[in-house]
Amino acid sequence: MRSILSYIRHMARPEWVKTFFLAKTAPLSTPPHFREFPHLTGKECTHCFQCMMICPAPGAIEVIRTDKPGEWKPVIHLGHCIRCGLCVEICPELVLDAGRVHMKNAQDGTYMQFQFHITINPVTCMGCGSCTVACPVNKEIDPQLAAKGTSTSDEVIMRVYKGINTVFHEDKCTGCKTCEEQCPTRSILVARVLEPLQISEET
Amino acid sequence: MKKTVDVSIPLGPVHPIFKEPCRIKCETFGEQVLAAEVELGYMKKGIERIMVGRPWQEVMFLAERVCGICSVIHNFVFIETMEKISGVTVPDRAAYLRVLANELDRMQSHLIANFSYCYTIEHETIGMYLLNIRETVMDMLEYLTGARVTCAYIVPGGVRFDPDNEDLTRIMTAMDDVERETRRYMSMFESGPLIGLRSKGIGVMTREQAELIHAVGPTARACGITTDCRSDHPTYQRLNFSPLVRTEGDNYARVMLRFQEILQSVDLIRTIIRTLPEGKIRGGGTIGRGETTHKGEAPRGELTYRIKSDTHGRVQEISIQTPSIMNIEACARYMIPGVTSVADVTAAYISSDPCVACTER
Repeated sequence: MRSILSYIRHMARPEWVKTFFLAKTAPLSTPPHFREFPHLTGKECTHCFQCMMICPAPGAIEVIRTDKPGEWKPVIHLGHCIRCGLCVEICPELVLDAGRVHMKNAQDGTYMQFQFHITINPVTCMGCGSCTVACPVNKEIDPQLAAKGTSTSDEVIMRVYKGINTVFHEDKCTGCKTCEEQCPTRSILVARVLEPLQISEET
Repeated sequence: MKKTVDVSIPLGPVHPIFKEPCRIKCETFGEQVLAAEVELGYMKKGIERIMVGRPWQEVMFLAERVCGICSVIHNFVFIETMEKISGVTVPDRAAYLRVLANELDRMQSHLIANFSYCYTIEHETIGMYLLNIRETVMDMLEYLTGARVTCAYIVPGGVRFDPDNEDLTRIMTAMDDVERETRRYMSMFESGPLIGLRSKGIGVMTREQAELIHAVGPTARACGITTDCRSDHPTYQRLNFSPLVRTEGDNYARVMLRFQEILQSVDLIRTIIRTLPEGKIRGGGTIGRGETTHKGEAPRGELTYRIKSDTHGRVQEISIQTPSIMNIEACARYMIPGVTSVADVTAAYISSDPCVACTER
């Protein structure tokens, strides 16, 4: 009984009550460009899949179709995400955001540029033209190519020209890697090239 | 009379003092240690094998995961190697900011090394105070780069974010706190009879021995060797950097050298903030094909990357040489034999700041 009383007396001290109820901690301030997990900003996703292609962690981001027809959105799997923020920086439509990365990038004028390089190994390529026919961009540019397998157009990405698979317009490539999957001898390689750049102040 | 081995005592692989698994076999005569042997290989990650065949955008993030404590320098040296391969130049402001991030990382690595040494000689209190300083440094690293451990701050041709004046002022103010506190605990370690003086004359390695086994980093500089890769780096040369050297070669010298290097880093950071040039933080440039070797100074010593890449910047061959393997070997061969008690074995081992995560990458 005496011990309980002493406890109550101890806890009723004004200093204790003050520290318990009126405790103040320093306000937490988030760093200016703290990279949290990416979240959606609500802008329309054009499913260019650049975020999926740039992501260094396998399976961290996935662009899926939603219930509405023609609408896509990126989904971030939190267990795999390493919060590097590359998907946020690369997205051309500003669909994703993490912390104040966009604000900071707009302030600094920094951005990432995306390109694709197609190389064909001339030793192993047998000129079958599977890649040319399978390429979805080729199909759009020249429907005849997809239907018959032969074409004379030079506007396509690549074509079998005089028995040799030739790349004409590398800049039209979207990096979907369908050609890589179709190649029976694995002699075509699509590599992404990323350039970090800053807008110069003069221009 | 020739001393014969009494008992062979294994320390580890699981031991309360060791941060990471490693086994030390000591051959003892009474309490005196005659010889020691270090056995590694408990946590091989195979990270170099994972890197092969991947584009540099992925390898960049893998490289900073080689070691958690010195992640910035791995990022730094990997990106510098790739830039050297393809001839990418870096703007002045970005070069200075890289060094700023690297020095912050070096400070926190040295603080955790000295913490674990104090913990080993059974003085947890001073260790905890050192970790308090480390928290301040880590906060500043977060303010600069956006993350605490795996920062991914350095990209080819520059850095990711530009700190504004408010951030720089905050780092400058924090450096005052860090310097004051570090000087306080350094003087405690220097003069405290139960703290620092316990480690004088224990685990002595002479300069000749260190040269023979190619010890690197603070372990070598505490024996009088003046090697420091930072003095070859162009940005450090512009900051008038010169390496610090002590000559005693014992546990005390190694710990005190780390304290001095923290203060040196504080000075470097102040110089960087005072003389930070204006301008761009990202240049352009594409990573291409080539093969080269590049060196940098990690908190523990010399770090070497040898990379061969193809046209698209995919890594074809990579070999990372990290500093700790030489220091661990030096520790087993020269520091541990001759210590007067088994309790000093762990102290001598921890004073060389071993990092098994780097060694068995």
